[in-house]
Amino acid sequence: MLVFVLLGVSVLIFAILMTFSPERRAMTYVETPQQVKDIPQIIKQHGLDDPAHVQYFRWLKQISTGNWGWSFVAADTVWNAFWRYLPITLELNLFTTPLIIIIGIWLGTQAGIHKDTWLDHLTRIFAIIGWSLPTFLFALIMLMLFYGYFPLFPPGIIGDKVQMFILENPDKFHSYTGMYTIDGLLNGRLDITLDALRHLAMPVFTQVVVVVALLMRVMRSSMIEEISKEYVITARAKGADNKTIYFRHARKNALIPVVTVAGWLVAFSMEGSVSVEIIFNRRGIGWWLAQSAIALDIPVLMGMCLFFGLVYVVTNLVIDILYAAIDPRIRLT
Amino acid sequence: MPKLIETRDLVTNFYTYEGVVKALNKVGLVIERGTTFGLVGESGCGKSVTARSMMRVVQEPGRIEGGQVLFYPGEDGQEAVELLSQSEAYMQSLRGDQISMIFQEPNAALNPIMTIGDQVAESFLFHRKKEMCAKVLEDLKTADLPWPGLKKLLEFFYRRAAADPGDRLCCWASRTPILKRWQQRLFREARRRSVEIIAALDIANADQVVDRYPHNLSGGMKQRILIAMALACEPLLLIADEATSNLDVTIQAQILDLLRKLKKKSISSILLITHDLGVVAETCDRVGVMYAGSVCEVARVGELFRNPLHPYTRALLDAVPKFSVSGQLKSVEGNVPNLVDPPSGCRFHPRCPLRRKICAQRLPELALAGPDHLVACHLAGGRSGSAQVWGGR
Repeated sequence: MLVFVLLGVSVLIFAILMTFSPERRAMTYVETPQQVKDIPQIIKQHGLDDPAHVQYFRWLKQISTGNWGWSFVAADTVWNAFWRYLPITLELNLFTTPLIIIIGIWLGTQAGIHKDTWLDHLTRIFAIIGWSLPTFLFALIMLMLFYGYFPLFPPGIIGDKVQMFILENPDKFHSYTGMYTIDGLLNGRLDITLDALRHLAMPVFTQVVVVVALLMRVMRSSMIEEISKEYVITARAKGADNKTIYFRHARKNALIPVVTVAGWLVAFSMEGSVSVEIIFNRRGIGWWLAQSAIALDIPVLMGMCLFFGLVYVVTNLVIDILYAAIDPRIRLT
Repeated sequence: MPKLIETRDLVTNFYTYEGVVKALNKVGLVIERGTTFGLVGESGCGKSVTARSMMRVVQEPGRIEGGQVLFYPGEDGQEAVELLSQSEAYMQSLRGDQISMIFQEPNAALNPIMTIGDQVAESFLFHRKKEMCAKVLEDLKTADLPWPGLKKLLEFFYRRAAADPGDRLCCWASRTPILKRWQQRLFREARRRSVEIIAALDIANADQVVDRYPHNLSGGMKQRILIAMALACEPLLLIADEATSNLDVTIQAQILDLLRKLKKKSISSILLITHDLGVVAETCDRVGVMYAGSVCEVARVGELFRNPLHPYTRALLDAVPKFSVSGQLKSVEGNVPNLVDPPSGCRFHPRCPLRRKICAQRLPELALAGPDHLVACHLAGGRSGSAQVWGGR
């Protein structure tokens, strides 16, 4: 299943790739400025004017052997650059994802239970701010407040002192994952972890506020719908108290649609938030992708499309598994 | 017969966007101990709302606005408890224990993602916790446990819970990981009881059914499960809200038979809400007819079918298909009035073939028109016994 979906994605991506002229595509093989004049030769050498299906299978073979082409934005092969940028985005998501899910579901549940009370209105205001204020504006306000006026949470990935220390003592700090918060712990350097967390605080907060709004609203409406269902009255007629009704009966049912939204949001934020990464100067997947899109760095765009295809396929798989765990009606047995 | 539950001038309104729906307009009913009371009427006439108001489970945006619901828990029917002024906690202890309800849609009335066993066991866990803890404590004396400390700990918890089901320490322990496993024996006991009650309702393989989910069962089975849930704590009053309407005829007969048997054995009274007059004739002792939020006639079942006094009751009885009569089926002219803006006076008057001037001006009150026969109609004439005003059929 997974393989077929990915093959489909690759055909689509290749179709887009074929809309570019052979000359354009030949640029992906150019690694130095001197090579530019050899373009006709490159086209011939790599068969860029061959029939589409021949090129497609050749491209597939290259991709599957890890040859994803050269990224002039990153000045490295796409494969290497990808593994360099991924930890930065992954680190951000590692902190935002659980926060988004926990806060979104908890606030949504409370807003649904206490519909039309001050709590509900408060979460509504919160959601409107998060959802309608542009991310870049919100991120800039945060940066202005907590770095400009109160220099508590600096942008970037890690402090200069720590950066210097790591550069000067490459033997004392080994990069296991590329994520400083985790590497700090693995190296037994709590100060590095804390410093990295200090740099992470603002982007994480911005990302959570922006993304949590949607999840919260979905959870709220789902909860309200479940509370008005017939089985809730059955439970009430049995003598159930509100707590049992809300948390034992309604919430689990209300989670079913929320799982889908949560899954999509997680997959979506794997693409990296361009605004957050640029404003807080964290060069991750989102930043790289944005730069590549501007500079028409085709191999990067192609490779990333395939990567996001994979992310979405895996996310859907996880959503399906979670569905089966929550809802006995769709279990196969 | 002593009274069991009584409503007086019950008013329930629904606050919708279209306006205030006056669903109940001073409903007064008396249900006696040990009888089956049938409540009939068209859809949307307030039968279910009456039952739900009695249990105080009216859903948003509905609100009980006035009147009284008097519950007589004692054998002699003397001491009354006014349910509308009681606390929510009191109502919770009452619901499912003394008054319980079976619902119209067995498909919607069961939680789709909880096992049957868990849902039935809830009834026991809400109302029989004390008793069950005592039972577990008894069993613990002879139980073999891996180490003696565990037995002490379990006994400690169960002794506390048996003394007071809402014990703070026990509640805290029930929420703490690992520690919450102290309740396992309690759950096992509740499950054992659930299997027992499900088996008592003629369901085969009860010990397997408890582990299934609602979607694995047929409609009739689900209805039985709902009945099992309602009967778990042997209530004084069972409200069957269109309990058989959505089942096919054979299953319907089975369920009604079951209710009759159970009534003899354990339950004191049944309030049977239905729009099927055949079911009423077969199972009820007394019948109340409702129209547009008010009760128009209450009588013993034989009397009502023999001598219907309210024009609406007559129309309703005429609308029942009869095998012996050929020709077109009679229907009640017009539609059920919009309860946002109900007709003045008697709510039936716009559709009544015998309306007089007074009908549009004044709401007729329920009055005695014969032995144990109440009717709310200006023409059926209360105590004066002028039931013959509009002649025979």
